[in-house]
Amino acid sequence: MKNEKAAKIIEKALKQGRKTLSEYEAKQVLAAYGIPITKEVLVKDKDQIEKGINKIGFPMVMKGCSAEIAHKTEKGLIHVDVRNATEVKKAFRDIMKGMEGFKGGVLMQEMIKGRRELVIGLTRDPQFGPCVMFGLGGIFTEILRDVCFRRAPLELRDAMDMMQEIKGHKILAAVRGMEAADTDLLAQMLISVGQIGLDFDDVMEIDLNPVILAGAKPVVVDALIVLKG
Amino acid sequence: MSSGTGKSGSRKRAVYPPTDYERIFHPQAIAIIGVSADENGVGFGTGMLRAIMMMGFEGKIYPVNPKGGTIAGLEIYRQVEDIPGPVDFAVIAVNARYVPDALEACRKIGVAGAEILSSGFSELGTKEGRELERRIQDIAARGIRVVGPNCFGIYCPASGLTLLPGPDLSRETGPVAFVAQSGGMSIDLAHAGKWLGVRFSKMVSFGNGADLREAELLHYLADDPETRVISMYIEGIKDGDAFFSELKAAAAKKPVIVYKGGLSAAGARSVASHTASMGGSRVIWHSVLRQAGAVQVNDTEEMAQANLAFATLPPKAFRGISIVGGGGAIGVTACDTAETYGIEIPALPPELQERIGSVLPKPGSSAINPIDVANPFVGPEALKEVLLGAAEDERVELQILVSLLFHYKGLARAFGRPVTEVTPYRELAQCVRDVVAKTGKPVIAVLPNMTRGVDSMDVTELIALTRREYLSCGIPVFDELHDAIRAISHVNNYYGGRIK
Repeated sequence: MKNEKAAKIIEKALKQGRKTLSEYEAKQVLAAYGIPITKEVLVKDKDQIEKGINKIGFPMVMKGCSAEIAHKTEKGLIHVDVRNATEVKKAFRDIMKGMEGFKGGVLMQEMIKGRRELVIGLTRDPQFGPCVMFGLGGIFTEILRDVCFRRAPLELRDAMDMMQEIKGHKILAAVRGMEAADTDLLAQMLISVGQIGLDFDDVMEIDLNPVILAGAKPVVVDALIVLKG
Repeated sequence: MSSGTGKSGSRKRAVYPPTDYERIFHPQAIAIIGVSADENGVGFGTGMLRAIMMMGFEGKIYPVNPKGGTIAGLEIYRQVEDIPGPVDFAVIAVNARYVPDALEACRKIGVAGAEILSSGFSELGTKEGRELERRIQDIAARGIRVVGPNCFGIYCPASGLTLLPGPDLSRETGPVAFVAQSGGMSIDLAHAGKWLGVRFSKMVSFGNGADLREAELLHYLADDPETRVISMYIEGIKDGDAFFSELKAAAAKKPVIVYKGGLSAAGARSVASHTASMGGSRVIWHSVLRQAGAVQVNDTEEMAQANLAFATLPPKAFRGISIVGGGGAIGVTACDTAETYGIEIPALPPELQERIGSVLPKPGSSAINPIDVANPFVGPEALKEVLLGAAEDERVELQILVSLLFHYKGLARAFGRPVTEVTPYRELAQCVRDVVAKTGKPVIAVLPNMTRGVDSMDVTELIALTRREYLSCGIPVFDELHDAIRAISHVNNYYGGRIK
């Protein structure tokens, strides 16, 4: 069954003629499918900052959030390790200014601590339809291209096999004092991303990068969902 | 063309029409429509008629040409309707524009299936070509199965059906099925299989695939009792959903070896995400084939070798092997290659080393494993003792015997006798056969030939004779050690789960 909450978000964006969901919307879609995301609130007005601080706590990450803006890092729209109310207010001002009038707000987001970054994605192959990707995340995604794909729907064994297939699969094991990754949860995330692709023909591409391992638990820290347009 | 997904989030399952494959692959009577009325004709129809006759097809053959007359001692019927008896299968080789009428005539007299060798259809990219092909599909949908058009047809050693132009393919039937769009690839593999020892159950080159094609043929072959190994060469597929589900279902029952041609590393252009930019056809196909449980190969040779391994080896994984050879750089290269493919070459226990060492020349030999027998002239009886000894180590599940027979050329010269006379290749094959029978562990023979120049045609002949001798003893033969080990690794991956 198509998830109703996710459907509402996607349909709204399509009605507005948009080609992408904002990070906040994308994460709401993911959350609707049970995929773990960062705790976050979208703040559009400085009056809401206090409430955001209470909900997220310190340290936090603040990001410009708009469906119209890609490449947030390059535009200086991401502030990490924001540690107190003064820093929050300054970051808010800077980000709103940097958005140059684009519609959107500021995402106040819990800061996930973890040294291991993964990527999960979805693409549509002309022959095989929605295919889920898994691999090493962050900057290594493009540099090492250590990724693999499976066609949706994924069975549990497909998801488990993906985690074994990448060359860097040992990153998921207990290494250098870090816990072994929760591969059951990762498998569910891979299966769910495939399900989103099957449920919504309008979802063309998904990038969840990075997915950070906070201890054992994977959390989606940044998300891009591209729609048919 | 469709890659659509069901609205409910699940994928659809194809439904195929009931088909009498027995009459198609093992026909009692065939019609060949489009033979030349002239005895010296060279068209596809005439070529196929002669090829099928030379193959020794035992059923009835009805040539058809509106002019009538006789060809190769057979009466030519002016039209399909004039054929006096029932027809199971038809070969159609008339000009494209006459194909729909010929096919319809076949359907009306109850022919089960037809191969259309003629070209001039959708492959032209013209409106007329597409329209003619659509008419073929319409007729097929009313109750006759079609292979082609624009194909080389069906090869079935048991019945004598053969590909174009294949009057000299093997009539020995075997466990390997092959399907491909490409007729050229099919005839190449059929010829290669003949000397490599790959015996086919049936081969289908389906050309444009207007009716029967990859997914449905997989569906059929998965349950075909004559087929133990399915292999296929793919350029494009029609329906990703159907192909994937049939491939997965077939691979769960028997090994399916897939060679996918025309892959590109690059992902789709003008995409927004990293995921889409990395999902080029090469990586997606690789992933999908792995997901379906297929065996992936990268060229025709590797496919033929994998066919041989799956057809001749017992259905299991071989984690540990012994390698026996001598007179070359066998030890280190063998270990390197085996390790690459996740196969172990366990060192034999001291008592076995001692026993094996006692039959080997000294110094220069080593009985550890890989077992270096020191020189290429160690005789079959000694090699038999070596193989029997190594098989006693329970970690050794398969043995490879590398014989550098080309060195016998020097011996032949010294004695002034032909190399085929001084080389004990018959005894060698018999000894290996005895070892397999006694130990229950398969042996693979490797016959490298470093001397392939025109001055060594006698060595080429020797290697070919040795290969035939081995094959008649049920021993698979590879040219190179690497080829053998790679083929074993395919078997291991299929039966034993993936190597990490």
